[in-house]
Amino acid sequence: MKAFAWSGLVASVLVAALGACSDDDTDNNGNNNTNPPANDAGNAADAFGGPVDPASLYSYCKDKEARYIDFKPGQEQALLDAVNTLPECTTVRLAAGTFKMPNTISVGGIKGVTIQGAGKGAKGELVGGAASTVLDYSAAVANAIGVNQTGGEWFTIENLAIVGTSNDALRVDGTTNVRIRKVRTEWATENAPTNGKYGLYPVKSTNVLMEDCEAYNASDAGIYVGQTTNAVIRRNIAKGNVAGIEIENTVNADVYENTAQDNTTGLVVFDLPENPTPGTDIKLHDNNVTGNNRANFGDGTVGNVPAGTGTFVMASRRVEITGNTYGANNTVDVAVISGLTLIPTPASWTKGNFLTENIYVHGNTMTAGSGTKIDSGNVDKDKRPLGAVLTAIYAVGANFGQTRVEPFVWDGVGTNPAANDKLVNDIFLCINNNTLASDNGANAIADLNLAFSGPAIQAAQTPGDLTTAYQLTSHVAQTDANFSCTGFTPALADVVLPE
Amino acid sequence: MRAWTSGFLFAAIAVAAACSSSSEDGPAPSSIDGGVDAAVPEPEAFPATPPANLSAAKLFADPPIVDGQVRPAADMERYELATALFSDYALKTRAIRFPKGKAAKYDAREVMDFPVGTVITKTFSMEKDRRDPKAGIRVIETRVLVREDAGWIAYPYFWNEEQTDATYAPGGRVVEIDTIDAAGAAAKFNYLVPSKNQCQDCHHTREAEGPPVLTLIGPKARNIDIVVNGKNQLEHWAEIGKLEGLPPAAERPKAIDAFDTTKNTLDERARTYLDINCAHCHRPESSVGQASQLFLDVWNTTAVNLGVCKRPGSAGPNVGGTFDIVPGDHTTSILWFRMQTTDSGKMMPLIGRAVQHAEGAAVVAAWIDAMPPQTCQ
Repeated sequence: MKAFAWSGLVASVLVAALGACSDDDTDNNGNNNTNPPANDAGNAADAFGGPVDPASLYSYCKDKEARYIDFKPGQEQALLDAVNTLPECTTVRLAAGTFKMPNTISVGGIKGVTIQGAGKGAKGELVGGAASTVLDYSAAVANAIGVNQTGGEWFTIENLAIVGTSNDALRVDGTTNVRIRKVRTEWATENAPTNGKYGLYPVKSTNVLMEDCEAYNASDAGIYVGQTTNAVIRRNIAKGNVAGIEIENTVNADVYENTAQDNTTGLVVFDLPENPTPGTDIKLHDNNVTGNNRANFGDGTVGNVPAGTGTFVMASRRVEITGNTYGANNTVDVAVISGLTLIPTPASWTKGNFLTENIYVHGNTMTAGSGTKIDSGNVDKDKRPLGAVLTAIYAVGANFGQTRVEPFVWDGVGTNPAANDKLVNDIFLCINNNTLASDNGANAIADLNLAFSGPAIQAAQTPGDLTTAYQLTSHVAQTDANFSCTGFTPALADVVLPE
Repeated sequence: MRAWTSGFLFAAIAVAAACSSSSEDGPAPSSIDGGVDAAVPEPEAFPATPPANLSAAKLFADPPIVDGQVRPAADMERYELATALFSDYALKTRAIRFPKGKAAKYDAREVMDFPVGTVITKTFSMEKDRRDPKAGIRVIETRVLVREDAGWIAYPYFWNEEQTDATYAPGGRVVEIDTIDAAGAAAKFNYLVPSKNQCQDCHHTREAEGPPVLTLIGPKARNIDIVVNGKNQLEHWAEIGKLEGLPPAAERPKAIDAFDTTKNTLDERARTYLDINCAHCHRPESSVGQASQLFLDVWNTTAVNLGVCKRPGSAGPNVGGTFDIVPGDHTTSILWFRMQTTDSGKMMPLIGRAVQHAEGAAVVAAWIDAMPPQTCQ
């Protein structure tokens, strides 16, 4: 099927509609009305990289007319009008340059929409260049999301950057079959609580591919996948965020070959309480999760995570962590904890999903420098209690030969800690065959046993009392028989997405 | 900057009529018939494709605006709400056109079931000086809601500078407003005419599975169950044959005026305000309500879901506190902070507000402060 520009009846209707709306400046409309058919000589599509390649479209659109509609910087209002009236299987092509957006690009529940720029540009590029399309929301109306897709099916967004939103940059809510490719989201100022919360935010969606994207400086998560079923998150870069990549209340996610560096916490998997979707079947492999030490400038759940936490798994199940590189994470490389550790009221976990269980951590490579500066040296027992607990425990660690936090820390606190559950691995936590760092020491796994060590820490008056608390925790080598299991049955299935 | 209509004469009439400019024209013809529909001509149906010019839909008199006053067509019923959703102090003119021979069905709890063919217009205007209605009014937008076979559909229209017609504006508009507030201070802000797709950000219900469904917010029976110009609006609709199943007044739950301190308790006033301003999202039938578990609808009786000592899932940084409501202390309650702040990205509702609603924030602050103090964990 050949791509074609607006023509015939469809075009005339659209042009009429656009013309009617443009009370401000009729010269400022989208150029769809002047756009010749793709097979005409002198096609304006040069600026947009040529006609839409049907091969790049979702299968749903391949046997349909491949419409496209083009906009250049200066045609922002026409772009907004057009996205609210799109026929299915339309590709909205945005030329290189900077679009100064007044309001959200809100795409409704239609099928087969593609939003395509000329390139995502590089970090720090807040103005579009010759080969990049930047959607700039720094002057947008209050609370504006950048691009907001709600409902619908077969949505693609690619090759552009979204910068300066006061709200989320890209939000995809309740959509089936989603591709987010080569999209950059960025806020200019580092560590700013005024930055939007989320960069790339697919939620309540099904079959989500996110690849080759970049997310910088979000005040919550750079990349967030929430309440979603079937997600492939690969080859993305997340830096400067509170959470780099966050997989939340999600079922079937394959997260690989991503880079999560220089965030407060790199790559996290957790369920929120009171959420209707308990997460399960998450695979994290071949990611680079190093140097996540940024002071926590967030709030809410991620605001509770100590700076320097590589991976944080909470209230989750059937999670495999393998082939990743961890290192230089100030607090800990991988923490596996019960939901009750942070939100201690079982009633809040309306699905009973506070436990973390069936976690398999193997074949990862730990490099040096982790676990030596808890919460990056800025401990706050109210905001980030886990950092305060670790600080108390390891304050006396040297007396026991433990001078750093082990790369793997867990706590399986349940609802009925009737017995001191030190080293009773009843959550099927398997940790073995990881390559440990040169500075690791004898032990690799710590059980915080918080149900007992926690009260001891709270009651501690003297360093001697902390010794008592430390002795309620346990510290063992990776070869410890308690953790020698090999994952769970059935093994995680591959996540297969429709083309 | 757009011209302001300095409607001296008509504005004076509007003040006298309080909130119904159409009272000057007398009741609509259908009202006089007292429910006899046969003699009434078939009302204009809204076109299947939204017309470029709103005048084509014949939803307004000719001329549609006189001295800043909006004039719905004679075959439309104007109505008011007990307490309105705050929209940057915009004045709102609401009107409904019922299809011939069909009636809405009363519902004590949810939005009433309006017949296919119903058209609702909500027209938003800005005063040049909120202290002085005579200073001028600019009509900005009309939101047209049409009940089709498949459900409701919404169309935004943007009024021209001459105030003679409105054009279809599917992408919405951002309008610079330069006005004077109730305290006499200059108030400049960007007013959002929401885009067609953004209508659904507020106007929706949603099951746990499945896409959002567009719905109405205001026209729940209890919100309309008030006396305007000497007549109870619901009883009037029943009299003219446009409302079925209306129970006796004593059996009907009624919303109250959240700002009338003479008749209602603080709790009733705050809950009413939260219901109309927040509960289109913050309720169990909305996706964000489901995600946040913060339910601000009047039907909610569970304190934690009302926000009492509740930690938000992801409110983000700098939102004024740790808990949605800290009983006894509004200053550390996120609920109050987000509804009064004008920090973009922190404010609630998520769409449709640029300035602070001081009166609304005050009601909610007083309500929180009146709760027995409690230390949240």
